[in-house]
Amino acid sequence: MFKNYIKTAFRSLYKNKGFTAINILGLALGLTTCLLIVLYVVDELSYDHYNVNHERIYRVNEDLKLGDNKVDYAVCMPPLAKTLKAEYPYVIEAARIKAAGTTHVKKGDLSIVENHIAFTDASIFSVFTLPMINGNPKTALSEPNTVVITETTAKKYFNTTDAIGKIIVFNDKENYKVTGVIKDVPKQSHFNFDFFVSLESFPDSRSNEWLRSDYNTYVLLKDKSYANQLNAAFPAFLQKFSGSQMQSELNMSYDQFEKNGSYFRLNLIALDDIHLKSNRSGELGPNGTTQYVYIFSAIALFILLIACVNFMNLSTARSANRAREVGVRKVLGSSRQHLIFQFLAESVMVTLFATIIAVLAAAVLLPVFNQIAGKDIVLTVQSFKWLAPSVFAIVIIVGTLAGSYPAFFLSGFQPIAVLKGKLSAGFKGSFLRSFLVVFQFSISILLIVGTLVIYNQLNFIQTKNLGYNRNQVLIVQNLGELGNQAGVFKQELSHLPGVSNSTMTGFLPTSNWKNTRIFFKDATLNQKQSLFPQTWEVDADWIPTLDMKMVQGRNFSKNISTDSSAIVINEAAAKFLGYKNAINQQLYQSLGGKTEISNTVIYHVIGVVKDFHFNSLREKIEPVILKMGQNNGALSIRLNASNLPALMAQIKAKWAGLSPNVQINYSFMDQDFDAAYRSEQRIGKIFVIFTTLAIVIACLGLFGLAAYAAEQRTKEIGIRKVLGADVSAIVAMLSKDFVKLVLLSIIIASPLAWYLMNKWLQDFAYRINIHWWVIAIAGAGALAIAIITISFQSFKAALANPVNSLKDQ
Amino acid sequence: MIKITNLEKFYRTEEVETIALNKLSMHVDTGEFVAIMGPSGCGKSTLLNILGMLDDPDEGSYVFNSIEVAHFNERKRADLRKHNIGFVFQSFNLIDELTVFENVELPLIYTGVTTAERVKRVEEVLDKMQIMHRRNHYPQQLSGGQQQRVAIARAVVNKPKLILADEPTGNLDSSNGNDVMELLTDLNEQGTTIIMVTHSEHDARYSHRIIRLLDGQTVMENIMV
Repeated sequence: MFKNYIKTAFRSLYKNKGFTAINILGLALGLTTCLLIVLYVVDELSYDHYNVNHERIYRVNEDLKLGDNKVDYAVCMPPLAKTLKAEYPYVIEAARIKAAGTTHVKKGDLSIVENHIAFTDASIFSVFTLPMINGNPKTALSEPNTVVITETTAKKYFNTTDAIGKIIVFNDKENYKVTGVIKDVPKQSHFNFDFFVSLESFPDSRSNEWLRSDYNTYVLLKDKSYANQLNAAFPAFLQKFSGSQMQSELNMSYDQFEKNGSYFRLNLIALDDIHLKSNRSGELGPNGTTQYVYIFSAIALFILLIACVNFMNLSTARSANRAREVGVRKVLGSSRQHLIFQFLAESVMVTLFATIIAVLAAAVLLPVFNQIAGKDIVLTVQSFKWLAPSVFAIVIIVGTLAGSYPAFFLSGFQPIAVLKGKLSAGFKGSFLRSFLVVFQFSISILLIVGTLVIYNQLNFIQTKNLGYNRNQVLIVQNLGELGNQAGVFKQELSHLPGVSNSTMTGFLPTSNWKNTRIFFKDATLNQKQSLFPQTWEVDADWIPTLDMKMVQGRNFSKNISTDSSAIVINEAAAKFLGYKNAINQQLYQSLGGKTEISNTVIYHVIGVVKDFHFNSLREKIEPVILKMGQNNGALSIRLNASNLPALMAQIKAKWAGLSPNVQINYSFMDQDFDAAYRSEQRIGKIFVIFTTLAIVIACLGLFGLAAYAAEQRTKEIGIRKVLGADVSAIVAMLSKDFVKLVLLSIIIASPLAWYLMNKWLQDFAYRINIHWWVIAIAGAGALAIAIITISFQSFKAALANPVNSLKDQ
Repeated sequence: MIKITNLEKFYRTEEVETIALNKLSMHVDTGEFVAIMGPSGCGKSTLLNILGMLDDPDEGSYVFNSIEVAHFNERKRADLRKHNIGFVFQSFNLIDELTVFENVELPLIYTGVTTAERVKRVEEVLDKMQIMHRRNHYPQQLSGGQQQRVAIARAVVNKPKLILADEPTGNLDSSNGNDVMELLTDLNEQGTTIIMVTHSEHDARYSHRIIRLLDGQTVMENIMV
């Protein structure tokens, strides 16, 4: 019996090659996309799971509110880790990480720029699962000037993983002994370092300051149930340890501090949640967001549904052709269950073929997908353990789901009716089929609108006036290499034709340099009147080089000596402070210790600079205070050159003259800016691909449906042609029904798309409005694609010779 | 074998109610060969469908082998049908995806006959119908006469007590049509009851008895000698 089903299914599929190809291809496309997205989502969800104890590891976060300033930190106070471990027995281990900035590492005569360097406590290897190939994880980082490196790094510098005892030289002068080599940190980790330098080497690590936050602090609990207990203990804990320092620094008790509406709180975040749910100040790397995980999961489901809908639609459309078989089988004694089972077996078989193709396609496309998505997903034996059962489940579920409607529909035919041919006109009447077409096209239109909005928003970001000019700015990133000579370099470059200006500081709108300091509006250092701005050290050339505009007052001047205590603020700061006229207003900064005027610095405002964007456009522009200072973090050079290669050669020559051993490391400001939006651009690209796929799959279905509609009405077309209908009338007749359905989809999808995309845009502080024409374009596009698809079949049917179709009967 | 009494069947559309069978009564004995004739629309096919348990009557009684089946549900009818009745259609109704052998085998599969037994019985009947050499061909590769032989082979393979034939020669030329009628006569002589709907007086002459219908009622019965 079963063999008979398989046999009939096989032959029936083979006989209708076109139909089968459309079905399998559509389903395979859908499944491939779905598989890739599942891999992406699983990858996103499995961050930090490589840690054996990942369920018991937590990071301590700090929320700070001071007056109207509110900051969420991923970093905490220097003494927090060791104090927590000492105070609470259920805190089994605690470890701190402090990311080091860009560092130069010597390899022979070369100086290599490394960005993945961290200072860590020796206990890091007891908290995280970072298996050590060589060395003793217990003691590796307990001495000052020791470093543990990854396998790849060891091979890069020493050509061997047996690197214990070798010396690594940082920044040309600091010598560190390698005491351990670990396996590379897994890609799915919220931090990614190649060098783990002992915090013992770093005097600040022994600081006992409770009023500043710069260490990422992790705790390993005895059991995850203790997390609530620890969270509950934090307020009293903080009061106990930071109270006295608060009294001396801010001249108030912890209670008073809170009474003033300020606070200072600690809380735990589970390690597993960091990658997708944490976006605080001081993260160790860029994290993902749950938003995209949800969006992509939804898209995967949509595409799979579209593919299933195709399957159902094409199968039921073909019902007329299968009806006779159903009738004969019933007359010969087949029960309804037998037929249902037969059709389900057929659809499971099609799904199986499609799945095999999809698995192969996904494996082949994975590298391409990785590149687009910025991922490093690899299929391992481990992934097959969950992938194989899920793929099997997909075959059964999708096969049954897609086959269920045709199975129940076809098996319900009355044998005499179908044998008499009464059912062959059953194509037009199906409400469900119309519903499914509308469903498919609604989703397609939704995706088209989504893509257009994302692209418009990205374009808006690209072209928005940021308050500075990022074009033609060269940034020398490793200016620090020149030490005292940095000024000389700047001076020398200013003589080059093609260099119009340059400014020396690491603080740039496109850099990651951030520095927050507290300023007070009045001399009593009343925290209610405080400001918590970005405080950047710049020089007098900063504003002109970056092409910023002053709205009040003036820029710094080298020639005015009092400018050493002058500040320029941005419009956001002026607004926050409530200044109508900011010029000559004073701001106070405490130097710590006693709260006396003698111990505060007074700044006077000399100008207000027009607001410029320095964070992502997702965030509002924060207050910024600029002050004069010597900072050789980078040199930004405004170019005005027609011959860029020649100018670059001259700049490199000047550099080589001052620092022959170290290569110049530079970038362009517009590229740095683009890099900040790379994740959005990726999302945009992925969206375009998925949308295209969804539309292709939907059109495949429509193509098949149109073919069957035309086939069903061959006789009618023949008669109409004999009676004098021309081709266009027949094409119109065949297309009309589908066009109506697509129009209905537009009506349904438009408000939904508008609502959903507005929700997405809410994430951007600076965003576009969705214009009516975006939705109009999406609708018109979908309609056009649908009409092209249908008319291909309609023309074919309309051009056929009526004699052939009429002879059939 | 068959006894129907006051059988009624209506077809309703929104406006019109058509009476297909109007208090029809008749009986067929085991071993008979009966032809049903009448003009188009007289209710021949409706009667055949009800006799074949493909359709149920609105009123009246239908006793098949001493069992009242008039209000049997679909499942019971299907069960009774697959063990007792074979069908032959004007348009053959073979399944295009299956070979000759597989088409004939189908009723045996549905009645749960074992594989070995199936092969034996299908070969036997194909042999008898003289289409053994075509066993691996598909229906489209056969002539109309050959297709109808396969259809008859399929109808008799389960050794039914009753064969219902709906214009079995309607799509055939006269020579092939005569062959088919000879086959049916042979089957009848071997003990199978046959009820055949036909338009052809020529074919009707093969039967023992002709029942003529008009407007859903029996108007005349001819006994052939």
